[in-house]
Amino acid sequence: MIGKWLFVALVGLGGGLTVGAGFVAFLTVLGIIPRLMQLTKTQRFIQGYEAAVITGAVVGGWATLSEVHLHLSKWLALPIGLLAGIFVGMLAAALTEVLNVLPILTKRIGMDGKIVLLLMAIVLGKVFGSLFHWLIYI
Amino acid sequence: MDGQIFLRLRHRIKTGNDQLIYLEDIAQITGDEFAVQKLSKMPIYHVSKKDRHIAVLDIMHVVKTIKKTWPDIDIQTVGGAEAIVEIDTGKRQLSPVLFVFVWLLLFVGAALAIMNFHEDVSMRLVHIRLYEMITGKTVEHPYLLQIPYSFGLGFGMILFFNHVFKKRLNEEPSPLEVEMFKYQLDLDHYVALKENKETMKDIHDR
Repeated sequence: MIGKWLFVALVGLGGGLTVGAGFVAFLTVLGIIPRLMQLTKTQRFIQGYEAAVITGAVVGGWATLSEVHLHLSKWLALPIGLLAGIFVGMLAAALTEVLNVLPILTKRIGMDGKIVLLLMAIVLGKVFGSLFHWLIYI
Repeated sequence: MDGQIFLRLRHRIKTGNDQLIYLEDIAQITGDEFAVQKLSKMPIYHVSKKDRHIAVLDIMHVVKTIKKTWPDIDIQTVGGAEAIVEIDTGKRQLSPVLFVFVWLLLFVGAALAIMNFHEDVSMRLVHIRLYEMITGKTVEHPYLLQIPYSFGLGFGMILFFNHVFKKRLNEEPSPLEVEMFKYQLDLDHYVALKENKETMKDIHDR
């Protein structure tokens, strides 16, 4: 029995280790944290940001696996939703497809100067698509 | 009479059609005063119709041209080996119709992509669960979470590309500008090697 538990614990630990390492590698590749530090000029807090990501991942993992209910005001959902949206938006923007496609596209159709407008098309498309999905589609 | 000059080819120059390119146009020159003065206005290349949009000037061609009129001069070259001549043949103007089409294409594509993403990662269930965690209530549509989320999405993208706070926050280039620069550099590199017949030679079956 104890051998079985130990084995299960080992499997769980191994799985968590791999997923955690993968998660951090994913964030590193996308370069969101460096981008945020560059924008806010807070490079010196890098270890604080690392801690934020790790605690966030641990709390999120624990919260989804346990049945925790905080019974707080529903208005708290608003800032949390906004922050979640900003993070996913940065993820979407950082995906290299967007970065690689836009220069080629603007060059091909000969409008190098209008790249901001095309970027706005993508941004507004994302906002519209998301709202459409939540409000109408479902 | 011998002198010494230092040449550094410019990376990219823009000209009109049917124009004569002088040495001072295509390179930075320094060195012995009299040599610089004599060589600045030396014609190096004549842009003609058959060049079409782009021509590449090799440093060897430049050295050869100078040596032809002044064999004794000592030429020291610095930096890149080719200069790209971009020939402006009247900018093709983009029709507004095409622009609107591309804009709508990107708009609809981005909207569809984010919806697919939400379905793919079961974002709806995560939102319902998160709302339940915070408030203790289970609702079918946690709009209070989802509407700010949607606007945050757009804000996050703008933040990443840094087009809003550009002037205020810092002068560093945005990731998109860096990516455009890299793409242009790749294109230049390709053109410099491909359009320049001297860089490749086939000695097979000689």
